[in-house]
Amino acid sequence: MNKNTYDLKEITSKYRPIVTFKVKKSIGSHTPEWEDIVNEIMLNTIEKIKSGEFKGKSSVGTYIYTITRRRIVDYIRRKKRRAHKYIPESDPFPDPHEQIENKERAEMLAKKLEQLKPKYKKILYLYYYKDLSRKEVAQRLGISPRKVSERVHYAQKLLRKLIKK
Amino acid sequence: MKKCRYEDLIDDYLFNRLSQEKKKEFEEHFFNCPRCFEQIKEKNELISVIKDNADSIFKDMRIIEESKSNARDKILGFLSPKPLISAAVTAALVLIIVFAVIPNIIKGPPDFVVSDDGIRGGSITLISEAIPSEFRWENLGNDIEYKVFIYNDELLWEKNTQENTISLPDEIKTKMVPGKSYFWQVKAFSPEGTLISSSSKVQFTWRENN
Repeated sequence: MNKNTYDLKEITSKYRPIVTFKVKKSIGSHTPEWEDIVNEIMLNTIEKIKSGEFKGKSSVGTYIYTITRRRIVDYIRRKKRRAHKYIPESDPFPDPHEQIENKERAEMLAKKLEQLKPKYKKILYLYYYKDLSRKEVAQRLGISPRKVSERVHYAQKLLRKLIKK
Repeated sequence: MKKCRYEDLIDDYLFNRLSQEKKKEFEEHFFNCPRCFEQIKEKNELISVIKDNADSIFKDMRIIEESKSNARDKILGFLSPKPLISAAVTAALVLIIVFAVIPNIIKGPPDFVVSDDGIRGGSITLISEAIPSEFRWENLGNDIEYKVFIYNDELLWEKNTQENTISLPDEIKTKMVPGKSYFWQVKAFSPEGTLISSSSKVQFTWRENN
């Protein structure tokens, strides 16, 4: 693939959400620095593609994943060093816009969850609230592990439908 | 649409049950698979909504559980007309409560994974890294009171807080020996003071300077 044919805008819009998810999962979504880190990773990627340093030996996704991983490890290492010098950290500043949007979505989802039949609630309770494994849930309910997956899957399908309504 | 072979790993990934190697493989995969990523996002949202709103979502399930135990009382009451037996029944009930109810409240030892992701486990997710001086865990909601414990061989320090983060006071820091292993743990209590959740004890090593 020719290195100059990448659509950088498309890459940004496609991968930014994935990078954001991974960064937040790794360093905690309450950590205020997550946004800066995501910005850095995206900028870094674009630069490397522009300069031709990315030669297309791996897929763009894998390339960005490698950059993301490295940046997170680096952040955690630096943070440890900082933590030992007891430098106070800045206060979290959640993005109010994103917060409201997420909150509304979450509230709606919570309401729909309440409307589910006990059969589905029970499985979501054990599997997602109690963090039990598929096998443990299966044992508790006296059904097969396969059935557990199917039921969870179906509950999600129902939720999707309820939300669309 | 054909199912992706990685789809079955999504839950284990979100609950940090994958080995370091498998996790890396899976992450590399979803960086390349929009379909899996969509599902991860959806499930992740579902899990956090369930965790944050469990009281309202599962309120009728508690009623189910309660009515079950009422039925049990009635059966036992029917079997025990005499006072002596009723004492035995009371003891049995206590045992039922101890064995049937408490294991539901206190989670068993969760699997903790120490990785570049920090430490997670239990239904309280500990967010701080392996060698923290500030401890952080996932917020379980408003009005929750947390109790943080630091142990070496015995309890070294405990502190209540409503925040989801805490720093060690200097007098405790000076008590800690560099290179030695310690454990930390967080328990969550409802406003009424009932234990809602408990993380497992997670090991860390104290280093004064890097």
